[in-house]
Amino acid sequence: MPDFALTPEQESLRDLARKFARTEMAPHAAECDRTPRFPEEIYRKAFDLGLMNLNVPAEFGGSGLGSFDQCLIVEELAYACGGMTTSIIANCLALEPILLGGTAEQKLRFLAPFCAEYHLASFALTEPSGGSDAGSMRTLARREGDHYVLSGEKCFITNAPHASLYTVFATVDPSLRHKGVTAFVVPRSAKGVLPGKDEEKMGHRASSTSTIRFEDVSVPATDRLGAEGEGFSLAMRTLDQTRTPIGALATGIAQAALDHAAGYSLKRQTFGKPISEHQAIQIKLANMVQAVHAARLLTWHAAWTIDRGQKGTLESSIAKCYASDAALHVADEAIQTFGGYGYMKEYPVEKLLRDAKLTQIYEGANEIQRTVIARELLRGYA
Amino acid sequence: MEIVVCVKPVPDAETRLRIGADGSTMDIEAVKFVLAGYDESAVEQALLLKEANPGSKVHVISAGPAPRTEEVLRASLALGCDLATWVELPAGVSPDPIATARAVVRAVSAAPHDLVLCGKQAGDDEAGLFAGALAELLSIPDFSAVLDLRWDPGTSRLRFQRSVEGGLEKWEAPTPCVVALQQAWNDPRTAKLPAILKSRKLPITKVAFEAPPASSGTTRSTKFELPPPRTGAKLIEFKTPEEAAQKLVKILKEEAKVFP
Repeated sequence: MPDFALTPEQESLRDLARKFARTEMAPHAAECDRTPRFPEEIYRKAFDLGLMNLNVPAEFGGSGLGSFDQCLIVEELAYACGGMTTSIIANCLALEPILLGGTAEQKLRFLAPFCAEYHLASFALTEPSGGSDAGSMRTLARREGDHYVLSGEKCFITNAPHASLYTVFATVDPSLRHKGVTAFVVPRSAKGVLPGKDEEKMGHRASSTSTIRFEDVSVPATDRLGAEGEGFSLAMRTLDQTRTPIGALATGIAQAALDHAAGYSLKRQTFGKPISEHQAIQIKLANMVQAVHAARLLTWHAAWTIDRGQKGTLESSIAKCYASDAALHVADEAIQTFGGYGYMKEYPVEKLLRDAKLTQIYEGANEIQRTVIARELLRGYA
Repeated sequence: MEIVVCVKPVPDAETRLRIGADGSTMDIEAVKFVLAGYDESAVEQALLLKEANPGSKVHVISAGPAPRTEEVLRASLALGCDLATWVELPAGVSPDPIATARAVVRAVSAAPHDLVLCGKQAGDDEAGLFAGALAELLSIPDFSAVLDLRWDPGTSRLRFQRSVEGGLEKWEAPTPCVVALQQAWNDPRTAKLPAILKSRKLPITKVAFEAPPASSGTTRSTKFELPPPRTGAKLIEFKTPEEAAQKLVKILKEEAKVFP
């Protein structure tokens, strides 16, 4: 029988994340959103507690968690602040290509010193001319003897201004499209690596996002991940692993919106009684809790599938797509439950809508997720 | 130094408590039990002493039923305690503080101890009797409401403060003794994720519970009831702070008759 009960160990991990989220993150969420501010002191604390490099095996200094346990933690963090959570889990995304595509020597060389102290890393795939269409990549990697010369520009890169390490995808020949894409590990200190200024964003404002320009950056061939042309597959396999925690992140935002709405409905009186006693609000809350439950269970199922050693492309795409759509809808309904107050920045729910929106876009836009879902679905009928 | 810490699993402060169907017990269905308050301070004090005195060991002991007791012991191991002993009580047995002291005294005696720490009182019944009872059974002195405990290896004496009405007392004491800690003065640490994972695999020594004789004079709870719902709150409607203050003064004078 499938079992939805958490083990005592999982309960302890969730308790740790919940305590951190509610005592360290939540009190600063509104201020970091409004200012905006990148609360590096909170990210340092997350690192100190082992909440940062969740997917890196313990032998390299990470927490060594499977997908399910990562999801439990990410949901709790996102309940307090989606933006901070994005910055906290960005290392998982950035380091996954090294875990999947690096040699034993590269893993030891890059991961062990990186994870031993507080460091941030960024995953640099998206370019100004194409996010979903990664095959049209323009950042060039030109081979010159025992090294490559990288030139081009990446955009919307999480934590880029603060990171010390980047996993960069570039093409050795644009005419090869997907088959030219190659992955590299590039330190921030390399000459010609130029992160841009922080973007002004709608949500996730405690996180930091910028462009990175590569001006003839020399990268040793020994810092290439996998063979030339294997980068696109590596990026896709990376996203197969990291998509499910985005479902968890969206679920955390949705749960927060539901809790705010339900709590408010019991206090707010109209027509002589709490609005929770009006059927119109009851129907809203009933629909919201269904969406939250479904988002969580789809996320858990995708994580469980991946932890059983399966690819889980279909399951993780369903989880990410459904949970992010659910988060936007539930946050929207939470604002509606609050009425005019919900639209005011003084109340917490409008931030949830702005934060939920990004979960439909990043780590594979939901349109791409639906393309993937349809492809995986139809494969079973062909 | 060898330090023993006694802890008790208590309901999480965020848990909604319900009274059991029999009216004389708490309904523990869906109640989350944690290491809390005073006990967290006791564990933190033990770990601070261990860090200040290299070579020290911290042994945590708890009496209670599964699974909650194992969980607080594992939480203590995750925080940095070295050894754990569980005096396993059958489900449904909830001894009073003196019976609990009797239940653990054998385990405490068997563990080497220069110092026995515990919370000043439990986070649930807040009886504050356990430390005194345990000290009596061990025939050693005990001190309550203690903070900032330090060990002077030169004189082999403990130095600490006690919080008393309106101030602090400074004390010195010989070892071994039982010390009951004040709550949250030392900002208890949070266990790190790798330590939590590791704590799941550490051994816990189980000790069978020997029921105290019926004549040991234990108390029992006869009835729980919820406090009556609060009434009488009055909201003052106002447009300016001056108006609010005037209305409040009027109510305090004429209705509450707080002053003439």
